[in-house]
Amino acid sequence: MRKIFALLSLLVIASMALAACGAPAPAEAPAAEAPAAEAPAAEAPAAEEAAGFKSADPTTFVVATIGEPETLDPALAYETAGGEIIQNVYETLVFYDGEATDKFVPQLAESWEVSEDGKTYTFKMRSGVKFHDGADMTASDAAYSFQRGLLYGGYSGPQWLLAEPFFGIGVDDVSLLVDPEGAMADDSEALKAADPAALKAACEKVTGAIVADDAAGTVTMTLNQAWGPFIATIANGWGSILDKDWAVANGAWDGSCDTWQNFYAVPSENDPLTTVMNGTGAFKFDHWTQGEELVLARNDAYWRDPAKLERVVIKSIDEWGTRYAMLQAGDADQVAVPAESRSQVDEMVGEMSAYDLAAGAYAEPQVVCAYDGGMQGVEKFTACAGGEAGTGGPIRLYIGRPSLASQDLFMTFNISETSNYVGSGKLDGNGIPLDFFSDIHVRKGFAYSFDWETYISDVFDGEAIQQPVLARQGMAGYQADAPVYSLDLEKAAEEFKMADLDKDGIAAGEDPEGDLWTIGFRLQALYNQGNTSRQIISEILSANLATVNELFVVETVGLPWPTFLRTLRASEAPYFASGWVEDIHDPHNWYQPYMIGTYAFRQTMPAELRAQFSEILDRGVAVTDLAERQKIYEEANALYYEQVPTVLLATATSHGFEQRWVHGAILNPIFSGNYFYTMYKD
Amino acid sequence: MLTYIIRRLMLVPFLLFGVTILIFGMLQFLDPVERASLYVRGDPKANQIDAAIRKYCLDCPIHIQYFNWLVGKVDSTTGEREGGILFGNFGWSKTGSQPVADLIARRFPNTLDLTLWAVAPVILVGIWLGVQAAVHHNGVIDQAARVFSIIGTSFPTFVFGLLMLMFFYANLGWFPPGRLTDEFSRVVGSDEFIRYTTLLTIDSLLNGRFDIFLDALRHMFLPILTLSYISWATFLRVTRSSMLETLRQEYVTTARAKGLSENDVIYKHAQPNAMLPVVTLAGFQIVGLLGGVIITETVFDYPGIGSAAATASAQLDVITVLGFALFNGLILIVANLVVDILYAFVDPRVRLS
Repeated sequence: MRKIFALLSLLVIASMALAACGAPAPAEAPAAEAPAAEAPAAEAPAAEEAAGFKSADPTTFVVATIGEPETLDPALAYETAGGEIIQNVYETLVFYDGEATDKFVPQLAESWEVSEDGKTYTFKMRSGVKFHDGADMTASDAAYSFQRGLLYGGYSGPQWLLAEPFFGIGVDDVSLLVDPEGAMADDSEALKAADPAALKAACEKVTGAIVADDAAGTVTMTLNQAWGPFIATIANGWGSILDKDWAVANGAWDGSCDTWQNFYAVPSENDPLTTVMNGTGAFKFDHWTQGEELVLARNDAYWRDPAKLERVVIKSIDEWGTRYAMLQAGDADQVAVPAESRSQVDEMVGEMSAYDLAAGAYAEPQVVCAYDGGMQGVEKFTACAGGEAGTGGPIRLYIGRPSLASQDLFMTFNISETSNYVGSGKLDGNGIPLDFFSDIHVRKGFAYSFDWETYISDVFDGEAIQQPVLARQGMAGYQADAPVYSLDLEKAAEEFKMADLDKDGIAAGEDPEGDLWTIGFRLQALYNQGNTSRQIISEILSANLATVNELFVVETVGLPWPTFLRTLRASEAPYFASGWVEDIHDPHNWYQPYMIGTYAFRQTMPAELRAQFSEILDRGVAVTDLAERQKIYEEANALYYEQVPTVLLATATSHGFEQRWVHGAILNPIFSGNYFYTMYKD
Repeated sequence: MLTYIIRRLMLVPFLLFGVTILIFGMLQFLDPVERASLYVRGDPKANQIDAAIRKYCLDCPIHIQYFNWLVGKVDSTTGEREGGILFGNFGWSKTGSQPVADLIARRFPNTLDLTLWAVAPVILVGIWLGVQAAVHHNGVIDQAARVFSIIGTSFPTFVFGLLMLMFFYANLGWFPPGRLTDEFSRVVGSDEFIRYTTLLTIDSLLNGRFDIFLDALRHMFLPILTLSYISWATFLRVTRSSMLETLRQEYVTTARAKGLSENDVIYKHAQPNAMLPVVTLAGFQIVGLLGGVIITETVFDYPGIGSAAATASAQLDVITVLGFALFNGLILIVANLVVDILYAFVDPRVRLS
């Protein structure tokens, strides 16, 4: 999660641009154009498509990006750069159905069955599938891959997502089977020293839960409890199937319950599968020169039709100017565009597709006729009326889809005593008591003091939406019309007057001895230096709170990143803005960290409140029926809105570029980058 | 002459010792916990920090730490040596996803290759410009050369580099960034291409692949152009003033009085003597090039030492940065040695003293 957390800022800054093939190559085009020229006038767009936008090398897809994979091992990879490679080289039992984030199709499994009680999944393996080294894929390979992942464990990777369904809610690492107190979590040295019998028992629990029958070609997985999002959980990269023999030959876990502890929580630099790959996917891993490029080559022996692209080259280029030049020259088909440089590429847009929030899909692309850099968001672009030729820009823009990441404002219920950011630490107008935010009226007062409009306009250049509930569109629990907080300084004042910080039973507004409203407060809001969005969040609050009552003082303080992170982890910050990027498109992945997991801990949320949330979530995760789940998570939404432990801020919307000659991309927001199998170039 | 060289060589171990002390000293600015976190990946847990402090003896007396840092520790169970910069173990590069030594070994040949081809345009052209400016003192050529080179010096490298990239690559498509086009990098990566020297340009010639050689030069053109243009002013000024001073010497007047041709006077009599300060400057320039040219390599996506160091610094990868610093120190010492020896050849006063 820590990685995901850090990734958020990156995601916000960087949007991917599919770009350019420069070589306008008019000389080569005429032959292809001839039939189009004769086409009826009604087919004008087709004629235009044929007229330009042809890649100099349609067989090779070149991406110029920043950030390299940390590892190529699917059991450990937990960031998008590695995830993108894994998603194209390895395959999972089930996979996402096109652009849907909540529908799945068989991939390496031909079919699957779920038992009545929802605890046993039986996957029938596809036959005739070969790994890139020529070996046959078997049920044993699938079982080994899942067993190895679970035993790999550790909190640097994604294995906690699989641990919970197999081991039980809250048991998010295999080491907890050996020591439920968690003293060995992420500590391979401590685990190796554990009681051999306990170690063996933990491993046997894993191997007993995932059983292969090679003769029947099936893998049976037995969960600890019914788990609604199980299929969604195994559709992502960490559910990839490895070739057991190959993995063992390369030095990975040998499948024995006597040795697994030597392979627990191994860091990527010591993981034998960090830089080698052997999957069943449409692309083979060709080579990776760290810091320079990673190359995939088409798998001609793929079990479906081979991919259209022959080669994918992912270049690591730190300097934006260089990437921009490659985009203009047409040597890069896709480049990473930092948000602050978007306008440079916006000017090259010739076609756009705006997201229709109600329909939950991108609208048909429209030719762009004008660009106005003075506007915000989609307003920058004017679509052509019928028959107009457009700007002729080489780029297609996808805009307006809410991302699956967000940054919200978390209030700390019981601030740590070691905090330096609470002023005097008392209710004396020069600080705040440590349990300042334990008062629900204070939390509500803060929520009503936030200005979403200014935030979205200043931080996101207008390209974000206020998030109504924790669930995202297309998952159980999503309510577009749920009640939300909005800027209302009168209501904020009312709430602050109702607070009772001196706990004398008299609301602050009427307390003759003085309370929050008459004494005021001073606290320090933290952000990591350079993160302007966090800075702006606090500045908005600071200005509005001072308007509510001039005795309310919020000072905004920038800290170096490591210090900032430490204060968050130690619950020293009075409130903090932080983010989440979803792992699987399921409400549990959002509600769990916010209500009972990572953030609930950092906020030191009171046990009784967590218990209330936990009761709802335990019911929600066990149910598979969508309508029933919707109801359960709506309960959670109502309680979260009422208790407001967190002010839900905004979710950025997409602003991605694609070269107009690139086709076939599946724009599934849960994918790590591209899924190259369906993509092709003119 | 020989004594002079031997004396210089004997200094080298002391210089190396000084460099290691300096780098090690820099490490000591971090407290043990911070230094331990350098050995632990990601977001370390408290127990991992303690384990690393114990394992690497980070709270030991400073001389023991220094010794460990130099020679490393042998694991009693596996017999493997951990750490020890004398054995080339500079540590693990988080940004390079490989040992720092491997990263240097892979990147340095590229930097060396660039230096090889950049030396002539950077230094020789700079000197030639300086000589011309001096010979045509205060004439049109002098003024033009000075203005031209001063513009170059005034340009921030990344601005000039990006301008060149936009013009020659994005607009004209002539000189792409990177090292090789994809087609050729496939050949170079295959077994049929034998790496004799690790220098791409030389190897492509030895393999008889003139097309790869040209492609490599095409990718190096803009970095070399940028490096040249921003360094010419320095060479021009030093050469020019040294040359002017020499041309005013009496022996030059004597040479002219003997009736020697002006070319002989300038190039045979005056220039060699005017070159002494230029040799020093050239030595520094080559050291600078060998150490990796951070901005130029980054702008042109050239996979040399400089761009790797830039990535490491930007991501606070201390281990990698220190590894590079140590390596740069080595280069500086060796290159200085070579320059000093060259000096002895150029200037009789040095070898006779």
